[in-house]
Amino acid sequence: MSAVVAEHDEHHDEHHHDDHAHGPEKGLLRWIVTTNHKDIGTLYLLFALAMFFVGGVMALVIRAELFEPGLQFVEPQFFNSMTTMHALVMVFGAVMPGFVGLANWMIPMMIGAPDMALPRMNNMSFWMLVAGVLLLATTLFMEGGAPAAGWTLYPPLVLQTGKALPFAIFSVHLLGISSIMGAINIIATIFNMRAPAMTLMKMPLFVWTWLITAFLLIAVMPVFAGAVTMLLTDRFFETSFFDAAGGGDPVLYQHIFWFFGHPEVYIMILPTFGVASTIIPVFARKPLFGYSSMVYATASIAFLSFIVWAHHMFTVGMPIAGELYFMYATMLIAIPTGVKVFNWTATMWKGSMTFETPMLFSIAFVVLFTMGGFTGLMMSIAPSDFQYHDTYFIVAHFHYVLVPSSIFILMAAGYYWLPKWTGHMYNEKIGQLHFWLSVVSVNILFFPQHFLGLAGMPRRIPDYAVQFADWNMISSIGGFIFGISQLLFLYIVIDTIRGGTGEKVSDEVWEDAHKHGLEWTLPSPAPYHTFTTPPTVIPTEHI
Amino acid sequence: MALGLGTAHAEYTLNLMKGVTKVSNDVYDLHMLILWICVFIGLGVFGTMFYSIYHHRKSKGHKAAQFHENTTVEIIWTIIPTLILVGMAIPATKTLMELDDVQDSEMSIKVTGWQWKWEYDYLDNGIHFFSSLDEASNKARQVHSGIDPRSVPHYLLNVDKPLVVPTKKKIRFVFTAADVIHSWWVPELGWKKDAIPGFINEAWTSVDKPGTYRGQCTELCGKDHGFMPIVVIAMDQPDYDAWVKKTKEDAQKGPDLSDQPRDQLVAKGAAIYAKNCSTCHLPDGKGVPGAFPAIGGSAVVKGDIKAQTNLVLNGKGGMPAFGKMLKADELAQVITYTRNALGNSVGDDIQPKAIQELLPNKAGAAKPEAKAAAPEKAEPIADLSKDELVAAGKAVYESNCASCHQAEGQGMAPMFPALHGSAVVKGDINAQVDLMLNGKGMMPAFGHSLSAKDFAAVVTFTRNSLGNSVNDVIQPSAIQKLQAALPPAQDDE
Repeated sequence: MSAVVAEHDEHHDEHHHDDHAHGPEKGLLRWIVTTNHKDIGTLYLLFALAMFFVGGVMALVIRAELFEPGLQFVEPQFFNSMTTMHALVMVFGAVMPGFVGLANWMIPMMIGAPDMALPRMNNMSFWMLVAGVLLLATTLFMEGGAPAAGWTLYPPLVLQTGKALPFAIFSVHLLGISSIMGAINIIATIFNMRAPAMTLMKMPLFVWTWLITAFLLIAVMPVFAGAVTMLLTDRFFETSFFDAAGGGDPVLYQHIFWFFGHPEVYIMILPTFGVASTIIPVFARKPLFGYSSMVYATASIAFLSFIVWAHHMFTVGMPIAGELYFMYATMLIAIPTGVKVFNWTATMWKGSMTFETPMLFSIAFVVLFTMGGFTGLMMSIAPSDFQYHDTYFIVAHFHYVLVPSSIFILMAAGYYWLPKWTGHMYNEKIGQLHFWLSVVSVNILFFPQHFLGLAGMPRRIPDYAVQFADWNMISSIGGFIFGISQLLFLYIVIDTIRGGTGEKVSDEVWEDAHKHGLEWTLPSPAPYHTFTTPPTVIPTEHI
Repeated sequence: MALGLGTAHAEYTLNLMKGVTKVSNDVYDLHMLILWICVFIGLGVFGTMFYSIYHHRKSKGHKAAQFHENTTVEIIWTIIPTLILVGMAIPATKTLMELDDVQDSEMSIKVTGWQWKWEYDYLDNGIHFFSSLDEASNKARQVHSGIDPRSVPHYLLNVDKPLVVPTKKKIRFVFTAADVIHSWWVPELGWKKDAIPGFINEAWTSVDKPGTYRGQCTELCGKDHGFMPIVVIAMDQPDYDAWVKKTKEDAQKGPDLSDQPRDQLVAKGAAIYAKNCSTCHLPDGKGVPGAFPAIGGSAVVKGDIKAQTNLVLNGKGGMPAFGKMLKADELAQVITYTRNALGNSVGDDIQPKAIQELLPNKAGAAKPEAKAAAPEKAEPIADLSKDELVAAGKAVYESNCASCHQAEGQGMAPMFPALHGSAVVKGDINAQVDLMLNGKGMMPAFGHSLSAKDFAAVVTFTRNSLGNSVNDVIQPSAIQKLQAALPPAQDDE
């Protein structure tokens, strides 16, 4: 076998492979049957972008209804469906696929591999994702409406869902299988396909964070699948896992859900850390500070994510010993997270910084993620959490660690790698305009929600007492500006694909980027097949 | 932005409320402590970062240094945060222990969450009522109601019947729910607690200051989750006592059981329907397909009136048991209304008296058991044989114990322990008697509610039946002595 591969490689000069069917298929079929990591990466990214707008429209329905006290636009039940579907679409349709798309595009190029280890499974996991999200979307049109019990799907409430329940559960199964396949593929690729010189402790942090994230996914997606399957049997097969009247326990569901749910939120933030650790050194023109402590901090956070789940449930009436344990364990997360923030700051310190759009989004990420981290620390304190829990304070918290964190970093990654993907430069002026509109409006949108929560406004309510009116109106205004600003990003993506500024981009795109990552040693745009022979020299600036 | 707008209804706040209990003040102090620590760390980190962003930029000609690690610095910024966390954990632990300590409470209130109202049971004096969103808010909150919420006093934070509590008394709350999970939160008391169907949670408060304190359900519980507020009125003891007296008198009145003509029943039923049924079945009775069945044309409503009455009284699936919530006359009115309005014209009715016979314990009346069953202070009762006691105890068990511990003593996990093979029942008889006299957790105190003879009989029964054969007895005379030593029943206050 190895002899065959060697012979094959001899002929495999980049411009002489017409005798093989190695180019993309022609027409639409290319995208359906593709097994190429770049094609699949593109599909994931475009799908995530589309779902970002779908989930965004749902968010705007929510913010429109909350613009003023009183019910102006939607019935309460539909409002609850919107909060539920907004979360599910954003988590499973936008953020997770966004990072899987980046992983598909970048991991092989960063570790010097020709493709993902399991290309056919790669295709299947993408199309299963599409099937899962479409199935979820159809529940909006079913009798009884889409699921409306919150994305956490707590019983007994979720069992009151109409015809949509089994479809939503099956959709979660599909999304879970898709994620698990994607995770297996990433692990197999990183462990087996690295260029010989690419030892584990030389891998870019984006690869490291995704490796750890993939293990989290494999560990927890089956747990979630199990939890929703128990919901299914409780509803249709007379079991009583979560029904006290039959000897079950509704709180059991919450334990199982958050055993999945807490690692799940880290699944959305760890690759974010990886991209930030990739971008900041390039624009500071300085190696990343504390590479190995970044790796260990990521691993610590991943480990801690498994043992803190019940801090989402401080009010369910746990024994005091449990409350104390989960409080202490949760507080510990601040330590490795702090290390990361300090390291990013130290990376910028005494650098030679420039502020192109990817760097702007990354800096905003460090600042705003830290603010989300602070409120997270506040909520780890169980007695205070008795006040914060299920109010707008937590809505503000998790949106700070998702929107100006994960979403901003997905944007940063888009700006950073679009020239490599397309061979064209994006319009920097519009990029910066997009950044400033986003960073200002996202704070108008979410910062007042801290005040609302502290002042006593519960989350997931379609209408509110009049003393909450002003901040809600401001928050909604911020929401609309933020939503509309994202159309600029859509414009930039389309414009860049179609030629951008027209300026020919170099292979390394960013000054001295070739010192920071293998992808910048490749031509721009990256050819359909790259690293068919592994690179022998690897950049080490990031270590 | 005009921040001053529309703040006429409540104090406008940006921060957590200090509240009106010691615990809520402790929580507030803790919140401020952590907040300031975060602000301080934030200023340090962001200050450093922005200094760097300003000075270490290429456009200013700054040349990049090439350092990329420093073990000393990294150890320092791991250890210092650890110490800060320890500093936070100490006061947090103290406050948490304080919040958890429900012992030595002076009165207990049971709170049951329903879709979408709260039920309050004063366990010590039998007062019992439901509390739901007030009518003015309810009208204004309908989609396109045309009513400006700003014109409604305490919009969405007002109820028909508030919870009244005395000040400066340690009050224990026990929480449960009838349908889905709810969560009871009054910010000024300093905590919230989930109300979970089939389970009991506890919390406590002691309100320092008389006043009206408002809160809301904080666990998503369905479509009207945003519309089940909580209002707590704290009164000084004399005012509270007067309120208890008046409330009990009102409750004694009971339902009006006289027969009423059909059109009068229908007329009165409309208001009861609007208040209790229309949230789900909708004001026009059309229901919500897939979730809430229509009343108009419903097979149940157009069918046998007894079957419908049974369903309304006892509930089914998502339909709550209204037998516990409404009085006999109200039930008769609303049932008759549904059969003769909302597009139905069955042309029959049911009278309050018929309903009253179907209700297990006279709904709406104060619970009389505690007082009625107080033990007679008579001369010592003669001893009985074991078989006599066991035989008498069976009936006592069936009417007092079997609903929780089940007919065969098998219990109901996880809430109600089995008596069959129970360590308590098979253990020291005095310990078992003590437990039954004084109660523990969910187990009620039977000391005042059973006569000495019944008490002795049921203890002996549990030890020698239900699969147990401890083969000992306790005599009524021994119980009588213990009962005499009990503190007086608290419902006399």
